[in-house]
Amino acid sequence: MDRRTLLKGIAGVGSLAATGGLSMPALSQSAAARTLRFVPQANLANFDPIWGTQYVVRNAAAMVWDTLYGLDDKLQPQRQMVESEEVTDDGLTWTFRLRSGLKFHDGEPVLSKDVVASLARWSVRDPMGQMIKAIQNELTAVDDKTFKWVLKQPYPKMMLALGKNSTPCAFIMPERMAQTDPFKQIAEYIGSGPMKFAKGEWVPGAKAVFEKFADYVPRQEKASWLAGGKQMLIDRVEWVVIPDPATAAAALQNGEVDWWENPIPDLVPVLRKNRNISVDIADPLGNIGAFRMNHLHPPFNEVRARRALLTALSQEDYMRALVGDDTALWKPLPGFFTPNTPLYTEEGGEILKGKRDFAAAKKLLAESGYTDQPVTCVVAQDQPITKAQGDVTADLLKKMGMNVDFVATDWGTVGSRRAQKTPPGQGGWQMFHTWHAGADCISPAAYNAIRGTGDKAWFGWPTSATVEKEVTAWFDAKSIDEEKAAVKRLNKAALEDVIYAPTGFFLSYTAWRKNIAGVTKGPLPFFWGVSKTA
Amino acid sequence: MLSYLLRRILATLPVMAIVALFVFSLLYIAPGDPAAVIAGDQASPADVERIRQALGLDRPFLVQFGSWVWRILHGDLGTSIFTNLPVGSLIAQRIEPTLSLMVITLVLTLLIAVPLGVVAAWKAGTWLDRTIMAFAVFGFSLPVFVVGYVLAYVFALHLEWLPVQGYTPLAEGFWPWLVNLILPAVALGCVYIALIARITRAAMLEVLQQDYIRTARAKGLGQNSILFIHALKNAAVPIVTVIGIGIALLIGGAVVTESVFAIPGLGRLTIDAILRRDYPVIQGIVLLFSFLYVLVNLMVDVTYTLVDPRIRY
Amino acid sequence: MTGPTTSTARLPPGLVLAPQLPDLLPPVAVRRGILGFLRNHPTVAIGGALLLCLVLVGIFAPYLGTVDPTALAPAKRTRAPSADFWFGTDALGRDIYSRVLYGARVSLTVGLSVALLASLAGLVIGLVSGFVRWADGIVMRFMDGLMSIPPILLAVALMALTRGSVGNVILAIAVAEIPRVSRLVRSVVLSLREQPYVDAATASGTRTPMIILRHILPNTLAPLLVQATYICASAMIVESILSFIGAGTPPTIPSWGNIMAEGRALWQVKPFIVFFPAAFLSVTVLAVNLLGDGLRDALDPRMAKDL
Repeated sequence: MDRRTLLKGIAGVGSLAATGGLSMPALSQSAAARTLRFVPQANLANFDPIWGTQYVVRNAAAMVWDTLYGLDDKLQPQRQMVESEEVTDDGLTWTFRLRSGLKFHDGEPVLSKDVVASLARWSVRDPMGQMIKAIQNELTAVDDKTFKWVLKQPYPKMMLALGKNSTPCAFIMPERMAQTDPFKQIAEYIGSGPMKFAKGEWVPGAKAVFEKFADYVPRQEKASWLAGGKQMLIDRVEWVVIPDPATAAAALQNGEVDWWENPIPDLVPVLRKNRNISVDIADPLGNIGAFRMNHLHPPFNEVRARRALLTALSQEDYMRALVGDDTALWKPLPGFFTPNTPLYTEEGGEILKGKRDFAAAKKLLAESGYTDQPVTCVVAQDQPITKAQGDVTADLLKKMGMNVDFVATDWGTVGSRRAQKTPPGQGGWQMFHTWHAGADCISPAAYNAIRGTGDKAWFGWPTSATVEKEVTAWFDAKSIDEEKAAVKRLNKAALEDVIYAPTGFFLSYTAWRKNIAGVTKGPLPFFWGVSKTA
Repeated sequence: MLSYLLRRILATLPVMAIVALFVFSLLYIAPGDPAAVIAGDQASPADVERIRQALGLDRPFLVQFGSWVWRILHGDLGTSIFTNLPVGSLIAQRIEPTLSLMVITLVLTLLIAVPLGVVAAWKAGTWLDRTIMAFAVFGFSLPVFVVGYVLAYVFALHLEWLPVQGYTPLAEGFWPWLVNLILPAVALGCVYIALIARITRAAMLEVLQQDYIRTARAKGLGQNSILFIHALKNAAVPIVTVIGIGIALLIGGAVVTESVFAIPGLGRLTIDAILRRDYPVIQGIVLLFSFLYVLVNLMVDVTYTLVDPRIRY
Repeated sequence: MTGPTTSTARLPPGLVLAPQLPDLLPPVAVRRGILGFLRNHPTVAIGGALLLCLVLVGIFAPYLGTVDPTALAPAKRTRAPSADFWFGTDALGRDIYSRVLYGARVSLTVGLSVALLASLAGLVIGLVSGFVRWADGIVMRFMDGLMSIPPILLAVALMALTRGSVGNVILAIAVAEIPRVSRLVRSVVLSLREQPYVDAATASGTRTPMIILRHILPNTLAPLLVQATYICASAMIVESILSFIGAGTPPTIPSWGNIMAEGRALWQVKPFIVFFPAAFLSVTVLAVNLLGDGLRDALDPRMAKDL
């Protein structure tokens, strides 16, 4: 008999014991078994997956809206809503046919006009969609089931674009919703996915409820990530937002929730000790930590100053600060692409490997003409990932003998401040931290952060002709070998020009109670195929 | 008295107008940008700009403020930038948990703190007084989140008497409702109990030195009647003031308590809205808060006249 | 602390004295000097000594066996207390002993500055609104307004405007406390104003500043001191709450609040990260309160007679 049972026995004497039973949800056993209580990584603050592109929105949207194709766990796009597709030999005309039986949650059938409107809205906001839009001749519905996309140039990555899981995904909405301005929010949440959104029960910041859509017709294939048959084995998914990790851990241990999407690594040993809890790696594609330097202003407009930081930075420091001592969770990343994926390469990565050389780094920095001007490092304190990285960077710059101007602020401010191109003294910045989902970094397709298009590039505005040349080479590649070769050269060029500084590759855990079965590893939590016993 | 009340209630309008303008200006000059948060990490600067325009955030300050005031005058608090839900209904969803938490905390506090303070003053200088005050000091020497974690660890995780987190609406039954609020109320109440107990003791000590208490003692009145009727009534002004102040404090503490215990209340709504720069929501909440404060303070002022007839308005 | 006793002797000629009341410092304390005073009021002595110790710890932190409190060592993170790391290390491998000692500087600065700032401003505003009838309504409504803005909102806005800094934290907390102090002062003034001896003083033509100085101020000091000690203690705690939501002092400047806030998620597995700063905070709050209570008793002669 352990102490807990003993204490419970003692408690039984007091009247408080009655509350133990009362704290259980007032649902019958079977209803409880059909409801999955899930603690998401963040609050679902808005629910337009095209307008707002946070991962948490995408994760919820994947239940409600279906996609034409879906990426499987081999990273290959597979047909989902599409029954068949046809592409002309010149690669210019794509004709798609929808599978039958597709219905929206309001009972209306999914027609090709809905798809056309949805793709039009998506292609304004999505980087790959924008590329297609730029070479598009027309996007039209042929009949209720068929639509075609006519291009001016071939776009071999079409199916990847329509099935990728990086945000914004090409979710299909009813035409009336898809006609919303892509820069404005939709007002209703009707999709054709396996779950309906219970808008009336939505308490933003606390709760979001999804109910099984009875008329959903899953594909016959086995489910694999966003591909295959999305069989719902539970009736109701309740997202319970618990902002405090210590509380979320306690709630899972206590059985008040069933599944916690991203337990913080330091608490995992406690969860593992609990007989009723399983813990596993959530997403094998993981995340890539990063800090970006401003290429427009001194000192980091000078490549030697940027290389000086790469020479000195210890990815191990960053990773330990970020995810802790669990070495299964992180590894150094001498490059920009996701480890264990086909295009992964360490070409040109020597600068990030081996013993850190501060003498050489300081020499490089001196050569770059650095004259002790303050370096404005903007760090969001409300995001654990940026905060931990910021702390390590502050230490790194101090060791480099640089004059650090550490701006501790929140993510809302970093978001607007990093868009300022003005010099750091006038509202601008020199460094900020972020991270990229590994799923976005498997190829240059949706990888904005690697681009070197100067003024049009992502924050930091790096200019690199060689990087851009290799990105184009990858898009034009006809075979996997050509793709690999292009990405190899791209990795090297991006490190030489220091587009940004990768701080390492890290994974995260997910934890669930053992009465839940069918949790799969993937870039987002998949609720189909998940079952629960009381 | 009635005309005083009317004047006071009318006087709240300019207060709320000043608060609204002040907060609006503060948010306007603060550099955060909801568009950047919405667009997500991978968005291009051009997309962020387009979203900002669509939200009307690129308009001049006075235009934005003017249109907001115009809508308020028509009873419309606006729409949340993020959730696309009316601010009014967002706030309505959240009022019950926060009010429940505050009421339970307040009841708990008054039941514990005032008697403790009175006893401490009565036995001033003895070990009993010292013990009570030591507890009072300890009560507010720890941040509410630390107290909350310890309570959750002991009573929820270890003893399994109470749930760790969450909120059950009162409509689903009194017990489930209460059970979810006990730990948060105790955590939140710690600070408050300490404060009220101290102030009660201080005020009581003051009063117990007065001549009329000595007279009452000389008359041979019972200890209880002296303490709770004569003394406490006369010590009430500062106590009531601090209770009023404490309600403000509760709202501050509620932000953290609601985060720790995952209670979907106004505190969390506030902090979420601030960190995301959901301007209409922040505005609506601040307006509500200022109304509540004014109301509470009005009640406090009115209570003065009840407990101390020498104060008149 | 001997200020009020001497004022009686230096009355301008021609003024009728208000009835002499025994509400001033007992002359006995003056005669015995500081040591005697401390002997009469052991709580002041203990509280003051503790606080002095903590201030000294803060000032001499660099000489007390500490290392750089911001030096990272991620390879040595979350180590339990040992001979090498007396209080253990935090999630970034920083030495908690050093951080706690250096943190004393920030936490005490925040606590004392906020208490001082809020008390002074609150006292002035409370006196004005308690005495100047026409100003009362305006000032109090303005205070109501100020009070209704959550300090957290103010702190985040200030942080966004400039950056996280100790000054901003002090300002944000103090602004939120001022209305509370002024309300308290005002309520004391309101009830004192009705006291017979104040009526008598007014009737005998004593000017308002003199009434404030002689009758109101000494009587306001006791509740104000209790309130100030409370503010001082609560400011240190509010600072930790601001850190909790990421709006506190920047991580490059350790404070007890942000050490606790940073370690809070790990408290189930590494309780020492929260324990040590919490212990220091508790002791500090205890010291401040002992001092406040002691001073209150000392300033109130009726108390002294009874003891």
